[in-house]
Amino acid sequence: MVASDIRRLVDRALDAARSSGASYADARFLQEEWEAIDVQDDRLQGVDRGATSGIGIRVIVDGYWGFAGTAQLTAAELERTAALAVEVARSSSATKAAPVRLASEPAREATWATDVSEDPFAVPLEEKIAMLLDASGRMRQVPGLGIAESSMDLWRRTSYLVTSDGARIDQTITQSGAGIRALAIGDREVQMRSYPNSFRGHFACRGYEHIRAMDLAGTGPRIAEEAVALLKAPECPTAETTLILDAPQLALQVHESVGHPIELDRVLGMEAAYAGTSFLSPPDRGNLRYGSDLVNITADATLPGALGSFGYDDEGVEAQRSNVVVDGIFRTFLSSRETAPEVGEPRSNGTMRASGWDVIPLIRMTNINLEPGDSSLERMIDETDDGVYMSTSQSWSIDDKRVNFQFGCEIAWEIRKGKRRRMLRNPNYAGRTVDFWSSCDAIGARDEWGVWGTPNCGKGQPGQTARVAHGTAPARFRGVRVGVRG
Amino acid sequence: MSGPVGEERLADAAEAAFGAGADGVLVLAFHSWGGLTRFASSRIHQNTWREDVEFRVMAVADGNRTGVAATHSLDPAVVRRAADDALAIARIAPPDPDFPGLAPPAPVAHTAAFDDETANATPAARASAVAGALGELPAGMEGAGYVETAADEVLVCSTTGLRAFAATTHAGCSVLAIAPDSSGYAERLERRFGEVDTHALAGIAADKAERSADPQPVDAGPWTVILEPAATSTILQFLGYLGFGGKAYLEGRSFLTGRLGSKLMADAITIVDDATAPDALGLPFDFEGMPSQRVTLIDKGVARSVVWDRATAKKAGTESTGHGLPPPNSYGPLPLNLRMEPGENTLDDMIASTERGLLVTRFHYSNVVNEKETILTGMTRDGTFLIQDGKIANGVRNLRYTQNAVEALANVEAVGATTEISTEMFFGGSRAPAIKIREFKFSSTTTH
Repeated sequence: MVASDIRRLVDRALDAARSSGASYADARFLQEEWEAIDVQDDRLQGVDRGATSGIGIRVIVDGYWGFAGTAQLTAAELERTAALAVEVARSSSATKAAPVRLASEPAREATWATDVSEDPFAVPLEEKIAMLLDASGRMRQVPGLGIAESSMDLWRRTSYLVTSDGARIDQTITQSGAGIRALAIGDREVQMRSYPNSFRGHFACRGYEHIRAMDLAGTGPRIAEEAVALLKAPECPTAETTLILDAPQLALQVHESVGHPIELDRVLGMEAAYAGTSFLSPPDRGNLRYGSDLVNITADATLPGALGSFGYDDEGVEAQRSNVVVDGIFRTFLSSRETAPEVGEPRSNGTMRASGWDVIPLIRMTNINLEPGDSSLERMIDETDDGVYMSTSQSWSIDDKRVNFQFGCEIAWEIRKGKRRRMLRNPNYAGRTVDFWSSCDAIGARDEWGVWGTPNCGKGQPGQTARVAHGTAPARFRGVRVGVRG
Repeated sequence: MSGPVGEERLADAAEAAFGAGADGVLVLAFHSWGGLTRFASSRIHQNTWREDVEFRVMAVADGNRTGVAATHSLDPAVVRRAADDALAIARIAPPDPDFPGLAPPAPVAHTAAFDDETANATPAARASAVAGALGELPAGMEGAGYVETAADEVLVCSTTGLRAFAATTHAGCSVLAIAPDSSGYAERLERRFGEVDTHALAGIAADKAERSADPQPVDAGPWTVILEPAATSTILQFLGYLGFGGKAYLEGRSFLTGRLGSKLMADAITIVDDATAPDALGLPFDFEGMPSQRVTLIDKGVARSVVWDRATAKKAGTESTGHGLPPPNSYGPLPLNLRMEPGENTLDDMIASTERGLLVTRFHYSNVVNEKETILTGMTRDGTFLIQDGKIANGVRNLRYTQNAVEALANVEAVGATTEISTEMFFGGSRAPAIKIREFKFSSTTTH
């Protein structure tokens, strides 16, 4: 809960923006605390702990946007910053455009907080370091391993948003994650394996209970052995074949080839110069076949414990669940109060988030989920005569309209006559988004479905990093190009 | 604030950390302010201004235990609390036998890197620059991009008596010209806003968009390519991230491990890191307070060196080159001001000498396929052209490259005589020329 003196400052910032000429204004206080711990081999690489807080003021003046943010939380500085936001907005009229209109939104006064069983910041630092050193030490016992890494990241965001539409939202979001990585270093290659997922592990809107459940130390030897074995494994052959992806890799696939292209700001060209646009356009809603009949995709910011969950977005819109793809047909975009009306939608579906107090909110993924099917990994493999099973994201690249992609995984196994056989190194695959999702012929059921946090989703200028998530189960795709070489 | 707070005020707050009772304290202080005006669909759609301060405090206990804490306040009492927190972490942290200690004071070159006009640029000035750029675009073409003006003050000081301060400015603009079935791009980064000619950038972008209209499909496969500076910069910055740092080198993860002294690239390729060159945008010291040195990484194709911070230099038995990152740092040292030295060819020369090839304006969303073999993949975008019989024939649909970066630089046939600073999606900027490469591998194509 944000302190009453801060609330008064935020209210004052909003009043200052209105009295300076803003027809609409919002003021958002954000304090983010973080703790990051890195271990390599038997050494603590560092503990980074800190906090940042400030207020960002967003205004519309004469139909144009302006924004200013400051870390100096005094009444005088906030009044100056509010006036600057208005000056910025006035300057925007140098390029003439239709005035910004916001979809209406009921005024809400609300308090929301992540459900946390064990406060991760209250767990003694010694205990966290010891756990990571133990995990790293267990990996190092595997002969031939080059480097063992373990890491933990904790965040707590406390925010208070007020809007001139009457919203008063107090929110506390706690996020936790950890992971291990084993690297085997050869003359020409570095092979790596990660657990529970690559890029610093597995993240959720949960407390330390999320990290305790991981068993990093117990799993370390297995992934270290796999990393070492990969150095001698045959290379993934070049072929057009059946591809089965594990759930964490499906999360990356959903992120890049569904999550980003459905962002309405990209569709409308607002990110064209930097992150790019989208192959989708507004008339595609209800018409475009995005994937096979099995493909159902939701955007669900209400999933308990998922990294992309929250109570309200940074425009004060309540978290929602939307059907993005139904039985393979594209239905809706991720939207904001500004963009929803531009495509005839009456209301934002609540996806605007800012990574800090000093930047404006952008349309960001929430939890974009491939809904479960009725198959299983075992059944998919059993039904496959010839194919490849790939696991854990390692490399990703996709074009500026989100059509042509090429993704690499840490490890793969050959599938022959319904059995998982030899390990393959350097697996990757390539395709085009709609063709790929249309080739999906099996998706794992609910018991194999999980939500995988992505803590490093980048977008915008200046760059913003969002923490989002994807619910996925293993799935199978036919006729995919694998083993792509230059 | 919205103006310099000055070295003394930053130092007053920073030195509050020295009283925490640690064996040693290092403080990094950053004060930054500026505006970023983004435009899309030929209108300003995101127009922002921000100001921030950060104090990052590293405390040392028992000689070789360290902790780091950060705060975003200029209040000395708050900085002192961060130091107390850092010391509490240090007392818990296991000893680090490789900790090199805090750097002693060292003379740092003064650079004239602060431009008042840039630091004081108004929202109206940025908006006017955007309007000027958009005015250069022909009817039927839309513009997108940004204009930024920013200023920074950076102080590094420690209980060893080290104190280094720099005030810098930078300004940048990118223009993406969007036509019905094509696009063109241009970008410029400078110390001074006055040197960023947004009209000229828009002209370049519009010309590229016009000339690449009605793009034709071409097959993937090996091609002779001419990479314009922005595309060369992508290759350069990935090499810097993957292999020019001392930690990756010592761990055996770098493509340079065991290969220093070897001829890896073409004679025409010389790569250095130089933060203090007059046309660079770097700082005269690193985040350990060590003077930034010019380091020749590749000399006429021969691998010569990597960059070092104090910890990796100690391990390697050498000296820091002034490439330390802010603590805590698990990445090791990195070259943040890479430059590929220019050659003698004009872009027109390179095109005229190409019987059949592709001209690439820039790459998009490149990433690492194999770090030690330096295999990268990414897409072309915003102006990819077919060269036929020494002339640009037409625009082509975009392609995906999957290419060994070192091998590409071994296959360089010509290097441009001028260089530009370009940004890359995952990194900052680097300065590079256009280069012509034979047998550059494209692995697939896309629809636009």
